[in-house]
Amino acid sequence: MIGRVLAAPAAARTWREAAFLPAGLVAATPGFALVLLAAVAVPLSVLTIGLPLLVVVLFLSRAWCGVHRWLFRVLLGRTWVAPAPAGGTGLLGRARARLGDPAAWRSLAYSGIKLPLAAVSTYLAALLLAGGVVALTCPVWSRYSPTGWGLLDTGSWTSSWLVALPGLAGVLLFPWVVRGAVALDGLLASALLGAGGRDRRIGHLERGRADLAAEAAATLRRVERDLHDGAQAHLVAVGMTLSRIRERVDRLPPGDRPADLAEVAALTDAARATVASALTELRDVVRSIHPPALDAGLDTALQTLAARSPVPVDLRADTGRRASEPVETAAYFCVAELLANAARHADARRVGVAADDRDGVLTLRVTDDGRGGAVLRPGSGLAGLHRRVTALDGTLHLDSPAGGPTTVTVTLPTGREALP
Amino acid sequence: MTLRIVIAEDNALLRDGLTALLADRGHTVSAAVPDAAGLLDAVAAHDPDVAIVDVRMPPTFTDEGLRAALALRRDHPRTGILVFSQWIETRYATELLAGDPRGLGYLLKDRVVDTDRFVDALARVASGGTALDPEVVSHLLGAGRRRDTLDRLSPRERDVLALVAEGRSNRAVAAALRVTERSVEKHVTAIFAKLDLVPADGDHRRVLAVLRYLTP
Repeated sequence: MIGRVLAAPAAARTWREAAFLPAGLVAATPGFALVLLAAVAVPLSVLTIGLPLLVVVLFLSRAWCGVHRWLFRVLLGRTWVAPAPAGGTGLLGRARARLGDPAAWRSLAYSGIKLPLAAVSTYLAALLLAGGVVALTCPVWSRYSPTGWGLLDTGSWTSSWLVALPGLAGVLLFPWVVRGAVALDGLLASALLGAGGRDRRIGHLERGRADLAAEAAATLRRVERDLHDGAQAHLVAVGMTLSRIRERVDRLPPGDRPADLAEVAALTDAARATVASALTELRDVVRSIHPPALDAGLDTALQTLAARSPVPVDLRADTGRRASEPVETAAYFCVAELLANAARHADARRVGVAADDRDGVLTLRVTDDGRGGAVLRPGSGLAGLHRRVTALDGTLHLDSPAGGPTTVTVTLPTGREALP
Repeated sequence: MTLRIVIAEDNALLRDGLTALLADRGHTVSAAVPDAAGLLDAVAAHDPDVAIVDVRMPPTFTDEGLRAALALRRDHPRTGILVFSQWIETRYATELLAGDPRGLGYLLKDRVVDTDRFVDALARVASGGTALDPEVVSHLLGAGRRRDTLDRLSPRERDVLALVAEGRSNRAVAAALRVTERSVEKHVTAIFAKLDLVPADGDHRRVLAVLRYLTP
C-alpha cells in the first residue's frame, strides 16, 4: 500500500491521466462556447430565429463530444457505446429530430460542466505537481538563491528541509488528485456521453432484427439452391429417361400387341407432360422464394419483372449501389405484387415503375392507369406488402382514388445515412 | 445427320442422361466434361459440330459457361454453341447475341424433356442457325425497347415473330401454328414492313434481322 502511494507519481497511468486533464481542458473550450451559444439561442427560439441556430449548436455539440470520447478512449482506455443517430428524413425532419435529441442535450450539459471541472482540476494538479517539485528540491536550490522566494523563505539549510516535506506531500498527493478528477469526469461522461439505456436496448433490438432478416434470406437461398440442384436436376433426368423409353417403344416392331404398345407410348407421353409441368411449377416456386435475377442487382431484376409483365411497363430503375439482401428482396417482391395487382384487379393498360436509392432510402413508385379504388384491406396482398415493408422500418403509401390512377409509394431504409 | 457433340455440364446425372439421350438418336458425344476448362480442351481436341454448354459451372457457379461460350465463338467459329441454363437470364442472351448469332442457341434445361424439339434445336445450331428459348423471346418482345413498334403487330403476327425469333424455319413456324407455309411467308413480309425492317431472304438472314431488331 505504501509502495503504491510512493510509486504513484511515476506510474504510467498517472501521467496518462495527467495528460488527459489539460487535453480535456483544451477540448472543453469550444464545447463551452457552444453551450454559451445555446444559452443565447434558447431564448431566441421564442422568436423562431433561434431555432436554426439551436439545431446547428446541438449538432455541433454532439459531434464535438466525440472528441471527448476519443480522448477517453486513447488516453484512458475507456469506451462507451456511441448514442444512436438522431434520425429523421428530409431536411426538416432531421432538424426536428436534432432539437429533440436527448444525446445532443446531454452533450451540451457535459460541455457545460466539463470546462469548469477541467479548469479546476488542471490548475490543482499543476499546482500540486509544480509546487511540490519546487518545494521538494528546495534543499538543492536553496544553496544558490540568497533568500528564497516569498513563502519558501529559507533562513537556513535545515529549514529548507521543512519546506521539502510539504513538497513531498504535494508530489505524492498529485496522482491521487488527478485520479479523482478523472474519475469524476468519467462518471459524468458515463452519464452524459454514452448511449442511454433505452438507446442501448434499441441498438440491441435493431441488430437482432437485422440478423434475423439476414438469416431468413440465407435460409431461403439454401432452399432455392437445394431445389435447383436437387429436385430440378432429378426431374430433368426423369424426363430424359422417359424420352428414351418412348424412343425404344417407337422402335419396337408392332408384332401382335399393337394396342399395348400404343398404350405404353401414350403413358410415357403423359408422364413426360407431367414432368414438364412439374418443372415449370418448380421454377415458379423458386422464383417466388428468391428470384435468381436478384443476384445481378435490383435494377436487372426489375427489368426481368418488367419484361415478364403482361401489362406494358415503363421502368426507370436507378438504384446503383447494392442494398442489403432483405431490402432488395422486399423491393423486388413489392414491385412483383404491385405489377400483378395492376394486371389482375386494376385493368391497367400501362404501368410506370420508378426506383431510386438516395440518402440511405430506397424509394419505389408504381403507378398504373387502371380503375383505382384500391384499399389496404387486412389480409389482402397489399396488407402483406405493408407488413413486410414495415418489418424493415420502411413505409408504404397508397394513393388510389376511384377511377384511378393508382400510385403506391414504398420507402425502405438501406442503412446508409449521409450524416452522422 | 450424325452430329459430333461435346457436352459441358457439371451435374453428373444430367451429363450422363444427355449423353445417353443423344446416343440413342444416333449422334456421337465426343466428350462430356464437368467444367469450362475441360470444354475448351475438348473442343480443341475433337472439333465437334456443336457444343452443349451449361451456363453455371464450377468454380463460381455464376456464368463460367457463358464466358466459355464467348471464348469458343472467338477461337472456333465453326462450332455451334447451345447454351443451357436452369433460369433464363435475359442479359446472358443479350451478351451471347451481341455478336453474330449464327450457330448459337440458348435454351432452358427443362426443354430437354421435349426431346424432339431439343434435338431439332441442336441440329439447327450445328448447321449455323439459331435456337432461342421461347421464354427468352418473350422477354425480348416484352423488354420495352421496341414495345411501341411491336404494338403495331396483330396478335397472329406477334406469334409468327416470336417463332421466327426462336430461330425456326418458315416450315417449322407453319407446323407450329398449323397454317400453310404460304401464309407464314405473307405474315413475315407484313411484319418486316411494319417494323421497317429490310426484307431478308433465307431463313437464317431473317432470324438475324429479327434478333438484331429485338436485342438491346
